[in-house]
Amino acid sequence: MAFQADRCDPARAEAKVLGGVIVEARGLRKTFAGGIEALRGVSLAVRQGEVVVVVGPSGSGKSTLLRCLCGLETPDAGEVVTDGARLPGSRRDRDRIRTETGMVFQHFNLFPHLTALANVTLAPRLARGLPADRAEAEARALLGRVGLKDKTGAYPAELSGGQQQRVAIARALAMRPKVMLFDEATSALDPEMIGEVLEVMRGLAAEGMTMVVVTHEMGFAREAGDRVLFMDQGRIEEEAGAAEFFLSPRGERARRFLSRML
Amino acid sequence: MTPSSRTSPLSRLAQPLPDLLAFAALAALVVWGVLAGARNLGYHWQWYAVPATLLTWGADGPAAGPLLQGLLLTLALAGTALPLTFCLGLAACLAALSDSFAARAVSRLYLEAVRNTPLLIQIFLLWFVAAPLLGMGRFTAGVLALALFEGAYAAEILRGAVLSLPRGQWEAAHALGLSRAQTYARVVLPQALRRALPPLTGQAVSLVKDSALLSAISLFELTLRAQALVSDTFLTFEIWFTTAGLYLAVNLALSAAARTLERRVRLRG
Repeated sequence: MAFQADRCDPARAEAKVLGGVIVEARGLRKTFAGGIEALRGVSLAVRQGEVVVVVGPSGSGKSTLLRCLCGLETPDAGEVVTDGARLPGSRRDRDRIRTETGMVFQHFNLFPHLTALANVTLAPRLARGLPADRAEAEARALLGRVGLKDKTGAYPAELSGGQQQRVAIARALAMRPKVMLFDEATSALDPEMIGEVLEVMRGLAAEGMTMVVVTHEMGFAREAGDRVLFMDQGRIEEEAGAAEFFLSPRGERARRFLSRML
Repeated sequence: MTPSSRTSPLSRLAQPLPDLLAFAALAALVVWGVLAGARNLGYHWQWYAVPATLLTWGADGPAAGPLLQGLLLTLALAGTALPLTFCLGLAACLAALSDSFAARAVSRLYLEAVRNTPLLIQIFLLWFVAAPLLGMGRFTAGVLALALFEGAYAAEILRGAVLSLPRGQWEAAHALGLSRAQTYARVVLPQALRRALPPLTGQAVSLVKDSALLSAISLFELTLRAQALVSDTFLTFEIWFTTAGLYLAVNLALSAAARTLERRVRLRG
């Protein structure tokens, strides 16, 4: 199997040590007004330090799954349990899920009236109650980490798409989330800017951040993903280790999807 | 010297010429129309009597004439009503957007009742019905009537501005764990107010003009002063033109201030 050996990343030769389950979804269902069934019974468990990549055709429910995991949508049936907080549940639980889950959106959704630094410090100050000077020090460190040390005073409109998305990642990290969700974080970017964002995401994965990543970047999925979920029509159709999924998808739909994507 | 370098400064100067000529022609037409109209009126113009309606020179220095006194009361009424209008508008807007059915119902009732009835009748209602009940003075009742009326329009302007923000702004704030109040205060309103500033300025200008209706409850503001002067002196056109000029000056100043504010809070980039 020379072919397979080739594709194995030497850095991942020794198996990653994963912690206990930190995010769990059980039997999630969600139907939107107009009768569109976005989720039709989705269950998944994410262990601490794991990078789960969710792939699938558009409209398969990937985004809705992430939006349930981060507490933006409440599932019609089933539940999400993140570090003991339940959804649907009390308002406190919902707020805990929202603060402990970092979300990165396709369209960045930075606050345009705030500088990059203020975008990052806002939530720690308001939701974590951090004093301004400490929030600022943390924010500067985070912006440095995503390679934007010299852009702290820039407004979103003065930044490129890739830079905006990196600010958005720093903003989510500032809440010290237990898990980071990426909802097609590179889909709205010009091709030459995708690399810089994926680089930051790879770095996070390497540092052991727990991540659930919805993406069309199959290269990233194969290299950085521990596990791949293939979703179609509101269900998880296939679930496998990243290397295994890309080498030999089991189902017909996954095979067709991959042949289109690769 | 090439021909182009010789002709280009001239042609650059000549470029706006047709536009300026058109403007001059239009202005001349308007001036001629006004003068011709005034002549045809056969009116005996007495502009020399107007300055005394603004400023009089008594034994102990200058004193405000009736029109200036009226202007001061108009400014006091509008100046008090304006911040109140903004607060009422913001409250009604937030109530209209709230999750609470009661808040939405009260807000809708207020908006529809105020926007679909004449201001004059609202003023009468406040002065003759509400004021005796609540022990309000004339000034308070007038200010309240104005603020309630303009506040309803301000509420709809603000609501439109809030709804015009992309949904992603709410989602990002919620995903970060900000509460609804925090999201409004730090994310939504700072952006919505910027968008609402131009139409809110228009509403402020309307407020100044609508304050003229308070003459109906004998508040001696600018319009009522002018009315009294006209019936005393029969300087109909001189007084009304001067009055209109005073409203114009106030509102131009208001608009200029709003534009300065707009420039100052404009987002970079």
